Amino acid sequence: MSKQFAASNSWVILSDLLQREGVARQHLNSYNEFVTRGLQNIADEINEVEIETVSTPYKVKFGRVTLGSPRVVEIDGSVSSILPMESRLRNLTYSAPILLEMTIEEEGLPRDTTRQHIGDLPVMVKSELCQLSNRSREQLIESGEDPNDPGGYFIIHGAERVIVGLEDLSPNKILVDAEKLAGATTYKSRVYSSVVGYRSKLELTLKQDGGINVKIPSCPVDLPYVIVMRALGIKSDRDIANAVSPKQEIQDLLEVSFDKASEAPTEKDALVYIGNRVAHGMLEEFRVKRALSTLDWGLLPHLGKTEDRRFDKSMFMGEAACKLLELRLGWIEADDKDHYGNKVIKFAGQMLADLFRTAFRNLVRDMKYQLERTGQKRGGNVVGAAIRTGIITDKLNNAIATGNWGRGKVGVTQLLDRTNYLSTLSHLRRVQSPLSRSQPNFEARDLHATHFGRICPSETPEGVNCGLVKNLALSAIISVSVPSQEVEGKLWELGAKQIRDSDEKLQVEGCRIFMDGRFLGYVDDGERLAKAFRKLRREGQINPSASVLYISPVNDNAYPRIYISLSSGRVLRPLVVVESGRPLLNPEMISKVSGGQSAWRDLVDQGTIELIDANEEENCLVAMGPEDVTTRNSHMELFPAAMFGIAASIIPYPEHNQSPRNTYESAMAKQSLGFSSPTYPISPHVRQHLLVSPQAPVVRTRTLDLLKIDERPLGTNCVVAVLSFEGYNIEDAIIMNKSSVERGMARSFFYRLYDGEAKQYLGGMRDTFEVPSAESNIRGYRGEKFYRLLEGDGVVAHESQVAGGDVVIGRTSPPRFMEEYKEFEIKGPYRRDTSVAVRPSEAGVVDSIFMTENVEGGKMFKVRVRDMRVPEIGDKFASRHGQKGVIGLVVPQEDMPYTAEGIVPDVIINPHAFPSRMTVGQFIESIAGKAAAFRGSPVDGSAFAGESIDEMEKVLRGRGFEPTGREVMYDGKTGKKFATDVFVGVVYYQKLHHMVADKIHARARGQVQMLTKQPTEGRARGGGLRFGEMERDCLIAYGASMVLKDRLLDEADKTEIYVCERCGLIAYYDAKQRKYTCKIDGDQAKISTVVVAYAFKLLLQEMMSLNIAPRLQLKDKV
Amino acid sequence: MKVLEDSGSSVALQLEGIDRSYANAIRRFCIAEVPSMAIDDVVILENSSVLYDEILAHRLGMVPIRTDLERYNLPEECDCGNPLGCHKCRVLFVLDAKGKDKVMTVTSGDLVSEDRDVRPVSESIPLIKLAAGQSVKLEAYARLGRGKEHAKWQPCTVATLTDGKKEGVFILTVESAGGLPAKQVVLKAIELLEKKLKEIQVAVGGPD
Ligand SMILES: [Zn+2]
Repeated sequence: MSKQFAASNSWVILSDLLQREGVARQHLNSYNEFVTRGLQNIADEINEVEIETVSTPYKVKFGRVTLGSPRVVEIDGSVSSILPMESRLRNLTYSAPILLEMTIEEEGLPRDTTRQHIGDLPVMVKSELCQLSNRSREQLIESGEDPNDPGGYFIIHGAERVIVGLEDLSPNKILVDAEKLAGATTYKSRVYSSVVGYRSKLELTLKQDGGINVKIPSCPVDLPYVIVMRALGIKSDRDIANAVSPKQEIQDLLEVSFDKASEAPTEKDALVYIGNRVAHGMLEEFRVKRALSTLDWGLLPHLGKTEDRRFDKSMFMGEAACKLLELRLGWIEADDKDHYGNKVIKFAGQMLADLFRTAFRNLVRDMKYQLERTGQKRGGNVVGAAIRTGIITDKLNNAIATGNWGRGKVGVTQLLDRTNYLSTLSHLRRVQSPLSRSQPNFEARDLHATHFGRICPSETPEGVNCGLVKNLALSAIISVSVPSQEVEGKLWELGAKQIRDSDEKLQVEGCRIFMDGRFLGYVDDGERLAKAFRKLRREGQINPSASVLYISPVNDNAYPRIYISLSSGRVLRPLVVVESGRPLLNPEMISKVSGGQSAWRDLVDQGTIELIDANEEENCLVAMGPEDVTTRNSHMELFPAAMFGIAASIIPYPEHNQSPRNTYESAMAKQSLGFSSPTYPISPHVRQHLLVSPQAPVVRTRTLDLLKIDERPLGTNCVVAVLSFEGYNIEDAIIMNKSSVERGMARSFFYRLYDGEAKQYLGGMRDTFEVPSAESNIRGYRGEKFYRLLEGDGVVAHESQVAGGDVVIGRTSPPRFMEEYKEFEIKGPYRRDTSVAVRPSEAGVVDSIFMTENVEGGKMFKVRVRDMRVPEIGDKFASRHGQKGVIGLVVPQEDMPYTAEGIVPDVIINPHAFPSRMTVGQFIESIAGKAAAFRGSPVDGSAFAGESIDEMEKVLRGRGFEPTGREVMYDGKTGKKFATDVFVGVVYYQKLHHMVADKIHARARGQVQMLTKQPTEGRARGGGLRFGEMERDCLIAYGASMVLKDRLLDEADKTEIYVCERCGLIAYYDAKQRKYTCKIDGDQAKISTVVVAYAFKLLLQEMMSLNIAPRLQLKDKV
Repeated sequence: MKVLEDSGSSVALQLEGIDRSYANAIRRFCIAEVPSMAIDDVVILENSSVLYDEILAHRLGMVPIRTDLERYNLPEECDCGNPLGCHKCRVLFVLDAKGKDKVMTVTSGDLVSEDRDVRPVSESIPLIKLAAGQSVKLEAYARLGRGKEHAKWQPCTVATLTDGKKEGVFILTVESAGGLPAKQVVLKAIELLEKKLKEIQVAVGGPD
């Protein structure tokens, strides 16, 4: 009892967190940061551009970046502000103008300052730039929006696109690793040094002979470690060795490295040595220069690219070698690159920054070129005229529209999944790994202990992307970057010493301190510093996003180290702070939060709750609940069920299922039909489904309330019996009650949007919307009956019944090539029919018609057709436990089994679905659902904290039912009692979007492909059904070769060709001379007709085009 | 045979000495063969509500309607021969509702019937919600039909045949949806079953 009480209480905090932050917080934070700081930083990076003209050159200096509000520029030049819904409906891009202050500076004197429009930035829906960000629920409804829409996506040309979170290795971290290859172990130390838009990998390898080699990207060969250190300006060997470690064992291991560097004993020699390798065969002066620039730019660029950073770089190199040798000595353990502390996730802001940087550079280059060409004219207007806004606008729009980020990065954005509300939410919390899906990468795909509370353990796709595509857990919070100066200041106050100020004793016995990939210095007692740091953070003196990790090594000889992380993109999770065995969170605080007087942030500020990243969690001991807390614990979980992501959170009693079942359900929940948005009457999506009578599940999880799934449900509560039914539910098929179906169970609508716009062509011609008439000689006229539903404006009438082929938007276009027709046709050029018709295999009722205007000022119609889908044999359904199946039979109610009370199940599933799948959660849901129906209130089935099965059994017993959920049932056909009791209960079923109506297909004769004359492929093109190799094998085995010939030749692409028997090549019939001709043998040719497959003829000709002469040797058929 | 319960809406009979299959046939006839009234054809004159015409029509069909088997014929058995029906085989309902300033719920009670005795079983079944300015205007035709054709014509909600305490004793329980008294459902089921059996008897050449 106390367990449940406590667990359900701290849930309130997490609930408050998600309610306030929303599920798309990580996107919005990242984007807002980019808008408020990122853009300015990028402008500052370039800062100015010099315009070199013949006389008086001048500069254009960049100032403040500001952003307008989202707007559209119409064809007539008028500007109007827009909202997301208008953008969707009119196929517009929801973007805002970027304005940059530009000052002309002549001879050091500022002249003219103007604000210039440099391009448009796509606006993230509900970000600070978005008009919707500060609207109330009522105002949102007024604007035609779903008030529950989380935002976090872009609208480009009317399509909603998400920049999916991208997982990346944390930059600037030294990771050491031991690789076993063919019996020998090599030790490696790697750093991915990253600065804005640029990454350089440093690799230190401990060779078999004991020497350390350094690999830098700009240098083609490996360099000896000591030589690099010398080149960095560390003069004495003692200093080089001490930079690694003053400890004797380590220094002994360095001896080989020093021996190997004997050919370059001085700084100069070392630079020449490197120069010889990066700039071979050049002048010595130039070689040294190149060596230095290699060190400044190619080596550890995150520490800076200037001369004065070389000392820091040498110290960092020292640490890299130190860790390497400590690993070699077995003093420390190898780093785990799958540890989530070594990962960061990049969201829209960072991705856009990369894109904007290159686009902005291109713009500046272009501007410079234009201005230099213009020459003497100068001033604000001239600068304005030299800016081509398209450079930025198009680059951003194209990248987001296609997901193509350049440099081989594809699939960065995706079309927002609007199948149902849950799939939208889940899509916004998705994280992609850049690892190749074609390689095994087993470890990277595995669930890691550090994923707990950060990444959902269940929700990942099956197949190639398994474990690479992840989803954030409910409790995951993405860190925002923390300014480093103040934190650094606090460290000095706490007794940390810079490297230069550390005496030898401290350097030997102390603890090394690192902050975001910088070697800061030493402190005598690392553990104490970490403790003090946390204390300050709890007191609110250090940003809660900052994290500290203290590592005390396995061997006392190795350095203890402190890592402070301030970067953005780390995955944090909230934990309750425990002090001397008592959680700091008390019921009073909880009731304040649930009462709305305080927020979860206040608890963070007062140090009751802490945000912990995966690194810092290594220093924590987290109790699962209040009853587990001991004095050893440092933290306590808020709510263990928050370890799941969005999709897995809807599963009731998931802890009772075999784990892959939860994974399957996580995938299927996203395919189930529901009420995706209250804007469905005007939803502008090309394909959309709507469940007619969706229900909130009676067996629920707390997450459902939190995510407001009840307002956007995705299934139906069904009475489900577990029983075999005359073989019609074998192999996962399900039986459905015909009367339930007739009463409207799982009925859905499918919407398809057809759109047509009137384009304008060169020469002033344009498309027109009209009913194409038979008289006016229109090319491609389909026949009167296809246009019968069109009204005077060329658009189909509202609520008319349409079938495949019926025209919904009548449109004619001007002839494609004006000249072409003049010669042959007396009547002059014909217009073409470019009407939009209903897809051949679809039908429905015209649901809604939108008429708008696109950006080019062309009239645009969107016609939406709806089709009612009543469940039928073959439609796919699934419970919330990964138990999917198709309808095998729809059975009249009188034939269905019934209980003594007269309850007839809606669904009958086969008992064989359970033993091997072990989805015990479904049994519990079934019993709980039944109890919920009896007691008239829903049951909480939240993971680890749900109402217990004993409680449910009590309810059932109280109503005179078996606590096991089993009941006496009678066969509807005979009225006989079944020999055994049947398990009946209430289970929530989801209708999945794979429906027979979308897939059913047959063909007799039909279209063929132009190239091969074989039947087309696919339902949409009325294609044939492939008679494949295995089917062929069957006929051969059966001895029915004639059937084979019939299918594959006679009824397929049978052709007659002429073959010259002398040369064996294809001949032809010359119609003018009326004779069969062979170009090779001329008069000697003996030409015969041969029946072959057209594809074979094509093969012969394709070979001929490759200069191969395929010769056929003909023989008479006996 | 013994009547265990007869409350109008529900009837329970103890049957003894008849075959289980015969008793079950009565149960099945109660569900699938006994005719009852339901709205079958809807002419929508105006619908600016959020529900589509077909969904509104479906909801109307599900409303249980008081049935008079004496005065009305099944359309296929009616002598009018009119595909649109006549006053003996169909009942007209009219619904005309307009949304006022507040969101209002249109219920089955708002359906106006041309026959006072043929009307919805309950007046409080919600049909549709209308916001200000939305309106619905329609004509709905109720007809007799059988449960085997569509669930809306099922006259009963519960029809069970369960084993009694002794061997060879069955209990037939029928709960009406409200259109017909439960007892009448059972009687009609027996009548129809007898009629069918008679047809078989005639077909195999037995005495009339
Ligand atoms: Zn009639």
